[in-house]
Amino acid sequence: MKYILMMQFPLGDWKTKSIHAWPPQDVKAHIDFLRRFNKELNDAGEFVRTEGLGGPEQMKIVRAGKDGNPAVTDGPFPESKEVLAGYWIIDVETPQRAVELAARASAAPGPGGVPLNMPIEVRPVMMSSASGEI
Amino acid sequence: MKYMLMMNTPRDGYAKYMSWPKQLLAANTEFMHAFSRKLAESGELVSAMGLASPVQAKLVRAGDDGKPVTDGVFPETKEFLAGYWIVQVESAARAFEIAAEASTAPGMGDSPLVIEVREVMSGPPQDSA
Repeated sequence: MKYILMMQFPLGDWKTKSIHAWPPQDVKAHIDFLRRFNKELNDAGEFVRTEGLGGPEQMKIVRAGKDGNPAVTDGPFPESKEVLAGYWIIDVETPQRAVELAARASAAPGPGGVPLNMPIEVRPVMMSSASGEI
Repeated sequence: MKYMLMMNTPRDGYAKYMSWPKQLLAANTEFMHAFSRKLAESGELVSAMGLASPVQAKLVRAGDDGKPVTDGVFPETKEFLAGYWIVQVESAARAFEIAAEASTAPGMGDSPLVIEVREVMSGPPQDSA
């Protein structure tokens, strides 16, 4: 079963508390953790993919205008409370395993090496494609 | 450059979607298939995922002992990720073009489909340190 683990970050804290505001050694410890975690997932055959996303200041909202051309406005949506900072797609045997791995990701080290214990949103993936055949 | 094109939905979006007329559901599904196929053929599709309803979502964090603490989703959240495409393109303009095309997916016309576009950062490499 495929699951998505989403790192949701409080939008209001992005400028002051996201990784971009951390001292270099804390950033390094966090990235080292991510590397180990990803390798572990890969070794266990549970890794599908992971991405980190650009910050909310780069976010754009796009829809097609009447002529079909893109109408682009700056994001995020005014009502947004959280911003997706990054995610993993994992392939696991049970929902419990997805929750276990989410808790591992949640405990990634933050400022001062203290576990972030950040909330991770866990959802089943219904369909996936890399070939256009869904 | 890699971009993530995200489709969001309100909390009751999936229930509403399931109540669409059958023909419209079929047209929407056909659009999504054809769209992904076209991106795959142009070599721009990296990955596409459709997610289960936010009703099935859980929020998980590590407790002080590292064990999972599970909760429902954020109570104030209005928009949830329903699915996304990752595309590999030459320019931001091309990512916007693709997003605009995705936004023309057939629907009820009651809530316009808007697509959130974010650049994907080059994350930590998976197997080199």
